Amino acid sequence: MKKLVAAAAMGLMTMTTGALAGGHENFPERPIMMMVSYGAGGATDFQARIVTMTAGNEDALGMPIAIINKPGAGGRVGWNWFATQAEADGYTLGAYNIPHFIAQSIEGGVEYSADSFEPIANWGADPAVFVVAADSEFNSMSDVVDYAKANPGQLTFSGAGLFVGHHIAALQLEKAAGVKLAYIPNNKGGAGAMKAVIAGEVLGGVNNLSDAFRAREAGNVKILGVFDLERNDFLPDVPTLKEQGFDIDNASVNFRGVMVPKGTPQPIIDKLAEIVPTMFENGRVAGKMKAGGSPMHIMTRDEVLEMWAAREQTLKELLAGL
Amino acid sequence: MTDLPRTQHIIASGLVAAVGITVAYVSYTQEPAAAFLFPRLISTVFVVLALWTFGKAVLGHTKVGNGLDRRSMMNILPGLIVALIFVYWAAKQLGFYTASTATFFILLSLYDPASHNEVKSWIKRVIITAGFLAVMYGLFAKLLNVFTPREIFF
Amino acid sequence: MEFLAYFGDVFTPINFGLLLIGTIGGLILGATPGLSPTMAVALLIPFTFRLEPAQGLILLGAAYTSTVAGGAVSAILLKIPGAPANIATTLDGHTMAQKGQGARALQLSFLASAVGGVFGVLLLIFLTPVLAQWALAFGPSHLFWLAILGVTVIGSLDSSSVVKGLLSGCIGLWLATIGFDDIMGAQRFIFHSSVSGGINVIPALIGLFAIPQVITMFAKGRKSLDAEVLTVERHPIKDAFREVFSRTRALTIGTLSGSIIGLIPGVGGQIAGLVAYDQSKKMSSESEKFGTGHSEGVIAAESANNAMVGPSLVPLLTLSIPGSPTAAVLLGGLLIHGIFPGSDLFDNYPDVAWTFINSMLVGQILMCIFGLYVAGLAAKVAQVPNAVMAAVVLGLAVFGSYSVQNSMGDVYVMMALGTGMYFLERFGFSAAPLVLGLILGPIAEANFIQGSMIANATSSVGQYFFTGALNLTLITIVVASIAYSAWMELRSRRYTTKDDAIEKEEALS
Repeated sequence: MKKLVAAAAMGLMTMTTGALAGGHENFPERPIMMMVSYGAGGATDFQARIVTMTAGNEDALGMPIAIINKPGAGGRVGWNWFATQAEADGYTLGAYNIPHFIAQSIEGGVEYSADSFEPIANWGADPAVFVVAADSEFNSMSDVVDYAKANPGQLTFSGAGLFVGHHIAALQLEKAAGVKLAYIPNNKGGAGAMKAVIAGEVLGGVNNLSDAFRAREAGNVKILGVFDLERNDFLPDVPTLKEQGFDIDNASVNFRGVMVPKGTPQPIIDKLAEIVPTMFENGRVAGKMKAGGSPMHIMTRDEVLEMWAAREQTLKELLAGL
Repeated sequence: MTDLPRTQHIIASGLVAAVGITVAYVSYTQEPAAAFLFPRLISTVFVVLALWTFGKAVLGHTKVGNGLDRRSMMNILPGLIVALIFVYWAAKQLGFYTASTATFFILLSLYDPASHNEVKSWIKRVIITAGFLAVMYGLFAKLLNVFTPREIFF
Repeated sequence: MEFLAYFGDVFTPINFGLLLIGTIGGLILGATPGLSPTMAVALLIPFTFRLEPAQGLILLGAAYTSTVAGGAVSAILLKIPGAPANIATTLDGHTMAQKGQGARALQLSFLASAVGGVFGVLLLIFLTPVLAQWALAFGPSHLFWLAILGVTVIGSLDSSSVVKGLLSGCIGLWLATIGFDDIMGAQRFIFHSSVSGGINVIPALIGLFAIPQVITMFAKGRKSLDAEVLTVERHPIKDAFREVFSRTRALTIGTLSGSIIGLIPGVGGQIAGLVAYDQSKKMSSESEKFGTGHSEGVIAAESANNAMVGPSLVPLLTLSIPGSPTAAVLLGGLLIHGIFPGSDLFDNYPDVAWTFINSMLVGQILMCIFGLYVAGLAAKVAQVPNAVMAAVVLGLAVFGSYSVQNSMGDVYVMMALGTGMYFLERFGFSAAPLVLGLILGPIAEANFIQGSMIANATSSVGQYFFTGALNLTLITIVVASIAYSAWMELRSRRYTTKDDAIEKEEALS
C-alpha cells in the first residue's frame, strides 16, 4: 500500500513539474480551446468549426481545437469573459468579429478594447448586403434612397443588432445618402433580421452576404447592393454601393479571425501566428467553406494588426456623431 | 391556520415583495432608459402582485402553500448544507469528481434508511458510491469530454 | 406528405438506436417518482451536445414521449404519480391494481397512451407546415402578445392561486432581463459575476426542476419508501386491446381534449389528464363507477397525457413559442445546434425537423411495445431509495449544468435558483410559470422593443400593439384566461381548504 501511495505521489509530481518546467518549445501539449462569442450554428461558429478542424494534423498544431460558445448581447458576454477571465497561456484562443468588438468598445460599457487582445490571423470576410423582399417595389439602392427622402425616418430596415457590421453599414448609408432611416435591430441576429424582411415587417434589411445568397436562391429576397469595395464572387451581378453612387467603403465588412488575450507569451503568439494561417489554407477547409457559402479572406498577424488600427480610426469618426 | 405557517408566509411574501421593489427601483433609476423600458413594465406588475400577496399573508388569508413544519426543516438541513458546500466550495476547490463522490457518500450515509451499525450496509454504500463515480466519469470525462475543474485532486 | 420522404432517416442504425435508448430510458425515468418528464429531458440535454441536431432531438423526443407514459407505471402500482401529469391515472389505475388487476391497468394505459400519442403526432405532422407558413403573419406585436399569453395562461390556469401564479411569471420575466440587454448592450441587474452573461436557460431549468425534488427527498428523512408494491398477475394483451377499442367514448374524449390542451401555449400536460378524466366522467353512462377501478378512467387519462405531447410542440416548431416547460427544454436543445424553430426550420433544415417528428411517431409505437414488457421492471426502479435518487440527481444536475458552457457560474446559478424555488414552492408559488417567464421573457422583450421601433417610425405604439384582429384576439385570450381563473378561484374556491392543498401537493411531490 505504501509503495502504491509513493508511486502515485511520484506520478503526480512528475506530471506537475512536467507542466511547469516545460518551456514554450513544446507548445501545444494539450488540446486548445477556442471561445466563440456567438451561439452554436451561427455563421461565426459554423466557420470557426470548419477552419479549426485540421488543427490536430501533425503539420498544423498537432492538437485539436475545441470550440466553446459564450453567446449573448451581440458578443459582449464572450469578449468580456475573454478579456478578463481567459488564461493567457496560449491554450485559450478566441474568435474575433470586426467591426463588432471595436465598435462596442468605442460605444463603451464593456471591459475590452482592441488593446486587450493580440490577433493571430484572419480567416474570413463577409460583406453586408442590402436586401428587400422578392415582391418589393424597390429595384435599386436609388429607389430605396428616394423613398427615404420622400418619407424621412420611415424607411424601416432590419439588421442583426446595434454596433455590429450591419449597423455600421446602416450608418454609412445614412451618411452617404444624407437621409434619415429607421434601423430596427433584431435580437435573433442575421436569421431573425432576414425573417423580418421576408415577412414584410420591415421594408428592407442589411444582412450577411452568405445568408442573403441562400435566401435569394430560395426566391425570397432581392439583393440590391454590396457594402464593399468590390463585387463579390458569390454575387457577380450585384453592384457595390459605390458603383451606385454612394461613398461607402468596406468598414462594415465582417472580418473573422483568431486572437489570444493580451499577456500571452510572445513565443507562443509567434508560433501560433506562423502555423494558424497555413491551417486556414488547407484544401479541405477551403472546400468546406465554399460549400457553406462563406467567403474566405486569409490575413497574417501583421496584416490584421494594421486592419484593426485602420478600422478603429474609421469607426471612431463614424460613431462620433451618435 | 396555525401561527407558524402564517409567520412563514409573511416572511416569504415579504422577501418576494422586497425583491420586486428593488427591481422596480433599479429599473426606474438606471440609465439608459431605453434599455430599462421592458424591466419597468414588468417590475410594475411584479410590485403590484407582490404587495397583494404580502397583504394577504399579513391578514392571514393565504390559502395555498403549507410552509415547512419543524420536522421537515430538521430533515432538510443536513442534506441542504452538504449540497450547498458541495456546489459553492468543494466542487471547485477539490475537483468535481472528488467532491461529488464525497457528497454522494455523505448524503447516502445521512438519508439511507439502512442501519449505521452494520458493516454490510456500509459496504453497500461504498459500492453504490463507487458505481456512481464510475458512471459519472465514464459519461462526462470519456463520452462528453467535459473538462471539469480538477484543482487539488481529481 | 413531405414527412414520408424522411421516414428512412429514422431507421438508420444510430438514429434508431438512440430512439430505442431514449424510449427505454424514458420509460424507466418516467416510472421513477420525482423525475418529471421536464426534468428528465433537461438532464439529458448535455448529452446531446456531441450528437448531430437530428440525433439529439430524436433522443430528447423519445425521452419526452416515454417519460409521460412511464409515469403511469408508478401511478398504477405505487399510487405515486411518476409525473404530475399522471395524477388522474392514480384514481382508477391504482384501485384496479389493488383489486389484483395491475397488469390489466398497465396494458390499458400503454395502449391508450399509444392511441392518443399517435393521434397527437399526426396532428403535429399535418398542422405544423400549415401553421409554419401562417407564422410569417405573426409580426413583433403578435409575438409579444403570444409570449405574454404563454406566461399568463400557465400562471393563471396551472397554479392553485392566480395571483401567485402570475407573480411567479413576473419573477421569471425579471430573471430573463438579467445580463446585457440584447439591443442596446446595457448591463442590467448584474449583482454577481456569475450572472454577468445573463441566466443561461438550461442550467436554470435543471436547477428549477431537479433541485426542489432533491430537497423534497431530503425532507422525507431517513425512511424507506413505504408505498406497497402490488403483485401483478397475468392478463392477456388481446383482451386489453379489445377493451381499449370498445371504450371509444373515453378514448375519443381523452385524445381530443389532450390534443386541444396541448395546442394552447402555456397550458402543457399537467392538466390534460385531469381534464379528460373529468370530462369522460361527466359524459359516461357509468359515471358512478369512476374511482372504483373503472377502465374508462385509466383510458381517458392516459390517452390525454400522450395526445398532448405532439400538439404541445406545434407552437414551438411554428412560432418558436414553447407551449410547455418540456417544449421549452426542447427549444434549448434546438438552439444549442443553432436552429431557430419557425419557418426557418422547415425551409432550411427539413431533414432535422421531419426526422425528429417521424421519430416521435415511431417512438409512440415503440413506447407501447416496450412499455408492456418493461412495466414490471420499471416498477422495481421506482423503488430506488430516496437517498440514492437524491444524490444521483444532485450529481447529474451539477455536472450537467457545468457542461453546458464549462462555467462554474452556471452551476452556482442552478443551485441558487433551485434552492430558492423549493422554498417558494412551499408557499404556493409554482415553477412552471416562472420557467415560462424566463424563456418567453426575451421573446416578449425583443418583440416589444422592435415593435415600438417600427411603430415609432411608421404609426404610433398604441395603434401598433392594440389594433388588428390578431392582436385583439390574443389580448382577449390573455384577459379571459386571467378572468376565468380568478372567477373560478372565487366561486368554487379551488383549493380553499388546507387539506385539499395538501392533497394536491402530496400528489405532486
